[in-house]
Amino acid sequence: MKLHLTHLCPEAMSLYGEYANLLILRRHLEDLGVEAEMESVPLCSAPDFSQADFIYMGCGTERTQKAVLQWLQPHAGGLRAALDRGAAVLFTGNAMETLGASVTDRDGNSWEGLGLADFTTVETDRRTPHDVIATPALWEGTAVGFMNKCSTTSGVTTPLFTALSMGFGNDREGGGEGFVSGDLYATHITGPVLVKNPAFTDYLVGRLFALHGWDLPEARPAYPHEAAAYAVTCRELTARLGG
Amino acid sequence: MRLILAVIVCKILRLIGKLVGKGSSLPGKYALRICPDVLSRVRLPAHIIAVTGSNGKTSTVEMIAAVLRAGGREVVYNAEGSNQIEGVTTLILTHCTLGGKMRGDVLLLESDERYARYSFRYFHPTHFVITNLYRDQLTRNGHPEWVYDAILPAIHPDTTLVLNADDPLVACFARGHAPDRVKWFGLERWSGDTEEPRGVYRDGALCPVCKRPMEYDFYHYAHIGAYRCPACGHRRPKPDFAVTELDLAAGRLVLDGDTPIQLSFRSIYNVYNILAAWSVSRLCGVEKDTAAGVINHYILKNGRMVQFTLGAHRGTLLTSKHENSVAYDTNLRYIREAGERCSVLVIVDAISRKYFTGETSWLWDIDFDQLACDTVERVYLAGTYVNDLALRFDYTAVPQERISLFADIGQAVEAIRGSGDEPLYVVTCFSDRDKLLGRVQVEKQEATKA
Ligand SMILES: [Zn+2]
Repeated sequence: MKLHLTHLCPEAMSLYGEYANLLILRRHLEDLGVEAEMESVPLCSAPDFSQADFIYMGCGTERTQKAVLQWLQPHAGGLRAALDRGAAVLFTGNAMETLGASVTDRDGNSWEGLGLADFTTVETDRRTPHDVIATPALWEGTAVGFMNKCSTTSGVTTPLFTALSMGFGNDREGGGEGFVSGDLYATHITGPVLVKNPAFTDYLVGRLFALHGWDLPEARPAYPHEAAAYAVTCRELTARLGG
Repeated sequence: MRLILAVIVCKILRLIGKLVGKGSSLPGKYALRICPDVLSRVRLPAHIIAVTGSNGKTSTVEMIAAVLRAGGREVVYNAEGSNQIEGVTTLILTHCTLGGKMRGDVLLLESDERYARYSFRYFHPTHFVITNLYRDQLTRNGHPEWVYDAILPAIHPDTTLVLNADDPLVACFARGHAPDRVKWFGLERWSGDTEEPRGVYRDGALCPVCKRPMEYDFYHYAHIGAYRCPACGHRRPKPDFAVTELDLAAGRLVLDGDTPIQLSFRSIYNVYNILAAWSVSRLCGVEKDTAAGVINHYILKNGRMVQFTLGAHRGTLLTSKHENSVAYDTNLRYIREAGERCSVLVIVDAISRKYFTGETSWLWDIDFDQLACDTVERVYLAGTYVNDLALRFDYTAVPQERISLFADIGQAVEAIRGSGDEPLYVVTCFSDRDKLLGRVQVEKQEATKA
């Protein structure tokens, strides 16, 4: 069993520790006997998605995101082809916005998106950084994290999180958040969203096994630090909801 | 009339505030209600110096004040760090005559990155010192470019910018500003530089102007160094004021090729404090000898380093800032380079003392691998977010058997008290340090490494 993990623009699209998402995923895969091969694709080099089984990009500054968008534009077809042949894609933070039809900056300039989804994003001159408690559409339980965005995204009909009990959704407080279509996953939850949410990691691992027709082993390793860190954050954030 | 009333109300409220030990923003708040444009009506000193940046603002302001005073200037500054517009108003009005003339030769302001544009709506600094822009409190600040965009509108065309030439983002402030009103300070190449970047992340990877890959001749630390962009030509300017020689181990540096300085704190961050203070005081006309006399052996008194005893351990608290990986990395590097056998306690309990957040992604920006060395015998992790810390350490080279976890800080302290006699370093934030200091015997407070 062997998987190729591709990390897009890690040198600049890792504003909130996002690189850790791949470290966590790789370790979980390796603990299940998968040989996980990592590839970093820096900005301005040509990505080759033909071997990729999992493609990830994290969050950057608004200006970096635009540079990334221009860089990836000619490779949108390759990304779509990878999805079509059974790769999984996860974009977090404002990398999510690049997947849509367009991103408009706060001065009104518009950038064409990669077109893998129909939604559109508009940036504002206000940030709404906030802790997040979210209800996942695909797995049980509650997701936690942090959002650090200055934009609203409209037109998502299939959010990754159906509702938020804390935080700003795609286009409104508490509304649906993120995007999912097949094995294309996106969320504006920044930072190591997989680190913070072991259930999300488990879900992705399950999908990667399923996409390759592998059986998940009965005995799964335990990750007590992940479980406890999630439980504490869940407890601390939920306590804030009470008031 | 409104001006006089605002001054009187501010002075009275400040006096009462001092008697009851209240903060310094309230008097300014009321004065601004009486006379919203009061700051454009008062007559300010000939020199108005503002200092902003992510790290080291307070230390830099204090050093500038000391040098200017030695140069015979009367300096009024916000030592209490109340750097929003209300606090600035309080400071100015309490030093005003009833006729609205502020006394003193220099008004010196530590300016919050996010609020500078509000403070400087009614007046502008003659000199604006910008030290650095790092990842700092991103849960409030967004990211360094967002902070850059917030500072930009605070810059008046007449202001002389005093900029850190070694920070590629700070250097962007010169774009569009009259070149004769930009002065640069920087550290030249020295033996501690590296050809490759250190640390976990690379904020110098892309040019902040054109977002193409940037090249470095050398890195001093983080993204601070000699950068150049092959695509657009954005590059480190030649400094007007420079540390031309540096020997940190010997605690010695040379300013502008001819002025030797003996350092009481052998930290590269102190080198930048000195550079900022040297540049701005030279620009205000202070003689080299006078400035050097103060900077020599200058001791910072901000209590970031505290010595204590815990059982048989000699302890050193290195106060860091949560959500600020550069501050953490500085302290971790200090521990590693001390080169003595020791143990280290890291506490993350309340992430901020000012607001709530459960955000711990900044732990992944800290280079904890610096503790993976033979001299560090044990690593104790403690506080509410101990599991996040433990998880972060799962992805370092620090051997698991050297790590102990305690959700309860008191239990961590007792465990350390009962075991061993090696020196102990504690790395934590202002928000959490008293949870330690209340449980140990404090000896003396010294100053900063950050
Ligand atoms: Zn450039």
